[in-house]
Amino acid sequence: MKNRLRVLRAERDWSQAELADQLSVSRQTVNAIENERYDPSLPLAFTIAKLFRLRIEDVFTPDA
Amino acid sequence: MESGPPRHSLAESGALWFAVSVVGSVGGGWLARGAVSSPTVVTGAATAGDWARLVAGLASIFLAGVAAWKLARAGLYSWLLPLAAVNLLLLQPGRAGDLRTWRLEWGVMGLAWTLAAVLVFARLLRRSDELERRLHLEGASFALAFGVLAAVVYALFENRLPELRGAWVAVALLVAWWAGYLVTARRYRWRA
Repeated sequence: MKNRLRVLRAERDWSQAELADQLSVSRQTVNAIENERYDPSLPLAFTIAKLFRLRIEDVFTPDA
Repeated sequence: MESGPPRHSLAESGALWFAVSVVGSVGGGWLARGAVSSPTVVTGAATAGDWARLVAGLASIFLAGVAAWKLARAGLYSWLLPLAAVNLLLLQPGRAGDLRTWRLEWGVMGLAWTLAAVLVFARLLRRSDELERRLHLEGASFALAFGVLAAVVYALFENRLPELRGAWVAVALLVAWWAGYLVTARRYRWRA
């Protein structure tokens, strides 16, 4: 699954650690999601979308 | 802004606390065992030296516990697996060994500590984040597969191999779990 997490985070000038704190996950988890090595669970995906005030499909898109 | 794998110092990685805990538990176990199996204790005439060794041993084990607690507090749960393996191998909780006194107390205490450690580890894992839980699930799955394979191989050569001891099986499973965790962590956290 593709995602825009790195771009969204950069727009807000947040570090991975700051984003991880807001999501209550580890920095490793944020890093793995950004590098598209790990697809988050549905609850975490919703939490991410809510944090950025976006719809979930504006953050995550399925592979073509 | 960072994007690569997280970099840690020796202390942040947990290696330092792991080393402190291993030295504490091994040294403490050796001192305490030496004290309770001393000939003067066996004959009911414990000396001040015996008591000093016992207190030093218990203090060392306490220090090992503090180091393990530090690892847990920092969320470095994976270090608890090799730590448990080292403690199982060297202290063999539940096994009195060559002790001539306090055999039952030593055995029951060891089993109680083992049970407490398993319960605490399960509780910590439930509180960790979803990727960490996934890494441990895949690591434990690897250990289970390894255990089944190793058991079948052992059965094939049973007559030519030494008698299998329970502590060895537990240690092998813990080490396999940790190895599986490390391999899985590398797959998720590092860009190829």
